[in-house]
Amino acid sequence: MVFRRLLRKRWVLGVVFALSLIYFLSSTLKQEERTIRDRTLLEARDSDHHIQWKIKFILGNSSRQISQCRNSIQGKSLLTDELGYVCERKDLLVNGCCNVNAPSSSQHVCTSCLANGCCSIYEFCVSCCLQPDKQPLLERFLNRAAEGFQNLFNAVEDHFELCLAKCRTSSQSVQHENTYRNPQAKYCYGESPPELLPI
Amino acid sequence: MIVRLCLLVAFLGGRLPLVGTEEDSGPFSTPFPSPLNADALLSPNCSQLTLKLDFSTKVVKHEYIVAFNGYFTAKARSDFISSALRDVDAVNWRIVRRDNPASDYPSDFEVVEIRQDARSSLLTLQDHPYIKRVTPQRMVLRSLKLTDSGTDGASPCNDTRWVQKWQSWQSSRPLRRTSLSLGSGFWHATGRHSSRRLLRAIPRHVAQILQADVLWQMGHTGSGVKVAVFDTGLSEKHPHFKNVKERTNWTNEKTLDDGLGHGTFVAGVIASMRECQGFAPDSELHIFRVFTNNQVSYTSWFLDAFNYAILKKIDVLNLSIGGPDFMDHPFVDKVWELTANKVIMVSAIGNDGPLYGTLNNPADQMDVIGVGGIDFEDNIARFSSRGMTTWVRSHAGCQASTCLSMASESLSMLVFCLSSTVLNRELVNPASMKQALIASARRLPGVNMFEQGHGKLDLLRAYQILNSYKPQASLSPSYIDLTECPYMWPYCSQPIYYGGMPTIVNVTILNGMGVTGRIVDKPIWQPYLPQNGDYVDVAVSYSPVLWPWAGYLAVSISVAKKAASWEGVAQGHVMVTVASPAENDVSNSGEMTSTVKLPVKVKIVPTPPRSKRILWDQYHNLRYPPGYFPRDNLRMKNDPLDWNGDHIHTNFRDMYQHLRSMGYFVEVLGAPITCFDASQYGTLLMVDSEEEYFPEEITKLRRDIDNGLSLIIFSDWYNTSVMRKVKFYDENTRQWWMPDTGGANVPALNDLISVWGMAFSDGLYEGDFTMADHDMYYASGCSIARFPEDGIVIAQTLKDQGTRHLLNLWKHQKLLSVDMDKVVLPNVRPYRPQVRPLSPGESGAWDIPGGIMPGRYNQEVGQTIPMFAFLGAMVVLSFFVVQLTKAKSKPKRRKPRVKRPLYLQQQQQQTPHSVNY
Repeated sequence: MVFRRLLRKRWVLGVVFALSLIYFLSSTLKQEERTIRDRTLLEARDSDHHIQWKIKFILGNSSRQISQCRNSIQGKSLLTDELGYVCERKDLLVNGCCNVNAPSSSQHVCTSCLANGCCSIYEFCVSCCLQPDKQPLLERFLNRAAEGFQNLFNAVEDHFELCLAKCRTSSQSVQHENTYRNPQAKYCYGESPPELLPI
Repeated sequence: MIVRLCLLVAFLGGRLPLVGTEEDSGPFSTPFPSPLNADALLSPNCSQLTLKLDFSTKVVKHEYIVAFNGYFTAKARSDFISSALRDVDAVNWRIVRRDNPASDYPSDFEVVEIRQDARSSLLTLQDHPYIKRVTPQRMVLRSLKLTDSGTDGASPCNDTRWVQKWQSWQSSRPLRRTSLSLGSGFWHATGRHSSRRLLRAIPRHVAQILQADVLWQMGHTGSGVKVAVFDTGLSEKHPHFKNVKERTNWTNEKTLDDGLGHGTFVAGVIASMRECQGFAPDSELHIFRVFTNNQVSYTSWFLDAFNYAILKKIDVLNLSIGGPDFMDHPFVDKVWELTANKVIMVSAIGNDGPLYGTLNNPADQMDVIGVGGIDFEDNIARFSSRGMTTWVRSHAGCQASTCLSMASESLSMLVFCLSSTVLNRELVNPASMKQALIASARRLPGVNMFEQGHGKLDLLRAYQILNSYKPQASLSPSYIDLTECPYMWPYCSQPIYYGGMPTIVNVTILNGMGVTGRIVDKPIWQPYLPQNGDYVDVAVSYSPVLWPWAGYLAVSISVAKKAASWEGVAQGHVMVTVASPAENDVSNSGEMTSTVKLPVKVKIVPTPPRSKRILWDQYHNLRYPPGYFPRDNLRMKNDPLDWNGDHIHTNFRDMYQHLRSMGYFVEVLGAPITCFDASQYGTLLMVDSEEEYFPEEITKLRRDIDNGLSLIIFSDWYNTSVMRKVKFYDENTRQWWMPDTGGANVPALNDLISVWGMAFSDGLYEGDFTMADHDMYYASGCSIARFPEDGIVIAQTLKDQGTRHLLNLWKHQKLLSVDMDKVVLPNVRPYRPQVRPLSPGESGAWDIPGGIMPGRYNQEVGQTIPMFAFLGAMVVLSFFVVQLTKAKSKPKRRKPRVKRPLYLQQQQQQTPHSVNY
C-alpha cells in the first residue's frame, strides 16, 4: 500500500532509473577492463594466485658430469642439452649430450635473443634460459604467472623442463589468433610476451 | 539411424596435389599371405587348425527385390507394386511372404516373384515414382572348413606367420626390380574380393572389420602408450574409461565434462576397442577439452594445450576436428613442433565432401596422419573431403561431424594399439607409423589418389611391417605412372607432348630415420634407354631439409625436342638418397642413409595442332587467397568465403572432362600472360579471375589476339555496395573481413577488354536459361554493358537480383555481417573490434580473450547481466508508468486481480532474455 504509493512518486522512479543506469554503465566498463587485463596474462595479477610450482633449480656449477642427457628433441639442425650446451645434431653424443669439445657447441648461448627475453631460435632461447642467473627471473615469473598456465607449469619438474616449456610459442605469442605478435622473436624465456608488431 | 559405418582411409597431404598410395600385393609378391581379409580368420589361440570361410552366391530365378524410396507398410508396398504392374497385361506375380519379427514394421523393400514376361514388368516397376530399383534376388551360401594347416611345414602361428622377412623392404612400396620393362608392375591388385561380401548383411564390430581383434588375440603386453584426445571433453564417471589418466580443460568454460556429446561419442568409439587397453596395462588416456560446448575454439587454446601434450610426452594425439586455416602459421608451426617431438598426430580430413580441394588443416600437413571415411562397401563417404591439398582458405571454423571423427578416433586407437605392440618402441615415430600405414594400405579400385589417399587401412600388415621395421626413407606416391587411370587422374587423362607445360608431380619424402634429414647430392634422373627414357626431360626440386620427418620432391616432367612427333611410352626413374644423423646408433658412425627409387612412366604423343590446344589461366585465379574473396554464388551465405579457389581439375572438373572428350588438350598456365608462346595455343580460357593484369600482360594479350589467339572470358558479379555488405566479423581472428573483390575482378577484366570496345556491368542477375538443349542456372553474375556493334551477342533476359534484395538477404543472416554503424552492443574501447548482436542460442564467444583457461568461464553471462538488469529495470519502470496513467484516468476503484497481470507481464518480458543465458 505504502509501497505502491511510493512508486507513483516521480522522483522514486527517477532514482530507480538512475541507479540501474549507473549499475549498467559501471559493469560494462568493469567488464572491459577485465577483458583487457586478461589478454595480457603475464602481467602482474592479483597476488593471491600462486602456482604451486615444484621446480628444483640445481644450484652451483652446472657443468657437472652426468651420464645421460635429455635434450630438446625437435630441432631442425640445432639441439640444446640439459646442461645448456647448444650443438649441431651431428655433434650429439649417444647419451644425448652435446659433445662439449665440438667446435659448434657452446654453453648458455643467448644468440638471437633480445633484451626482453625473446629469441628467434628456440634452441638458443632454451640455452639462454638455462643460465644460472636467469633463475630469479623464472621464479618471479612462476609466482606471478596467470592461472591459465597452471596446468603446464604445475607439471614442470626442473629447470630444464621449465625452459623447454617456457620457450615454446603459446597463447602469449599470438595476436588475432592466427599471427605471431613478433614473427622474428617469438620464443621467450622472459616475463613479457613478444613485442607486438603491427601486421 | 545411420546404417553406414565409417572405416578408415589414410590420407596424406603434401603441399601440392600428390597423395600417393600403396597397393597390397603388387608385382613384388611380398611373402605376406594375402588372404588376411574377411575370408580367413585365425583361431584365437593359434592352434594348427585354421577356420576357413567360403562364400558363394547365385541368382534366384524369378525372384526380384523391389527397393522403395522410403519405409512403407506391407499394404502400401503391395499397393505400389500392383499399381505399377497394372498396365502390364496378364502378368503372373506375387509377393513373397517374409515371416520374421520385422514384418510388422514398415520396410523399404519387397521380394516379388514374377513368373512370366519379367523383363517388361521390371521396366514398368522401375518407372514407379516410389520404387528406387529392382534387383534380382540372390542366395548366399557359406561353408565352414577346418583345415590343418600345420602339416605343410609352414607354421601359421603368430611368430612365423605374422613376422615376415621384411628386411628387404626398401621403400613403403618395395622396389626390388631394376627394370620397369614389366609393364604389369604398374598395375595393382585392389584387394577387393571378387565374391560377394557379407559385410552388408552382417554388420560387424568396427574393430573386427579392421582386424584389430586378431591383433589383440595375439596377446601383446606393450608398455604404456599415452593417447591424447582433443575434443569437447569427457565426463568423469564414464564407465568405459578406467585408464583416463588426466582430464584438462583449455577452454574458457569451467568444466571438464562434455556438454555437447561429440567427445562422448568419440569416447564410445574408443570404448568399442577398450580390449586393446587391457593388453597395455600401463596405457594412459589424456582428455584435453579444447572445444566449448558451442564448438568454439581458438588457436591460442590449442597452442597451450599442445605445449602441455609435448611436456607430458604424449605418443598418439587425436584431433578429430580440423580447421581450414592453413595460413594460421602459429598453429601449423605448433603441429610441426608436436611431430618433431615424436607425437604421432591423427587428424580428420574434413567433412566438406564430396567437393574437391576440401582437405582441412592439419590433416593436410605432410607429417600428420589424415583420415577420411569409407563405408563397408569401400565407397568413399560422401561427406569426406577429397582432393588436392590446396592449402587454401583463411577463415577458420570448426568442422565437427561425428562420422569422420569416429574414423579418426578409431585410427588413433589403432595407431595406439600398434605402438603398444611394437617390440622396439624406439623405432615408432610419426614417419615410421605413417610409412607402415601407407605401405600396408589396400588401394580402393576405381578411385583416383586424390580421393582415396593411400587407400584402406590394413591393420595386420601395418603391425607386421612395424615390427620388422628398419629406419629408412620412402616416397609417397612411390611411383609416377602418368598412364594409370583412374588412379593417377588427372595426370592420366592427358598424354604429354613436346612444347606443353611441364607436368609437375609432388612427391612426399617420409624419413623414418630421424626427425631431420637431408637429400644427399641431388636426385638423379636415370632414363631407361630401351624404354625410350631419353625422350623425357625430368627436373626436380626438393626441400633442402626434411623436417619434421618429411619433405617434398617436386618432379617436373616435360618432353624432349626429339620426341616432338613421336608417340609412345617412356620410362625411367629418379634416385634419391636421404641421410639423417644417426641418433640411437651406438657405433656413432655419423649418418644413416637410405636410397629410394621413384619409377616414372609417361605417355608421349606428337604435339597437337594449335587449334586443339587450350590454355587455362590459373595465374589470375587465386588459389591461396590472401584476403577475403566472397563466393561466386551470393546465395550461399553460410560459407561466405570462396576458399576452394578455382581450378580446372577441381571445381571445373566437368568442364575439363568435356573439353578432353571433345579432343582438346588443356594446359594450365601458372605464370603471367607474358610467359607463354601464344602461337602454340588456339584459345586462352579465363574463368572467374580475381587478380589484376599488368600493363605488359594487357599489351601482350592484345598482340596475341591480333595474331589469331582466341580468348574466352567467364566473368562473375562485382558490385561495390554488395561487397560492402558482405563483410563479416570473424570470431577466430577477431577481425572484420572485407571482400577484396567480387566473384570476379570485373574492373580488371574491363581494363583488359576495353580495347575491343567491350565491358561488363556491375549489375546482379540470376535465372535459368537454355542453350543448345542444355538447361543452365545462372547463379549470380553481371551483364554485358558494352559490346562492339559488329559483334554477335547471344542474349537472355534474366531476373535482376537487385542489390537491395541481396542486401536484405545478407542483413538478416545471423552469423554474418552487421552494419558497422548500427552495432547494438556498446563498444567502448576504440581498438576493440566491433561486435555483432547476439542472437538466441548463440554464445557471446567474441568476447573471450584467447588462451584464458580456467577463471573467465562465465564471460558471456557476466557481460549480459548488466544489460538485462538495465532492460529489466526499464520494463518495470514503463509498467509503473502505464499503471500510473491508467490509475489517473480511471475512477478510484481497486481491482483485486491487479497483481497477476503484473506478475504475468514480468514473466513474459523476461522469458526471451533467458534464452540467451
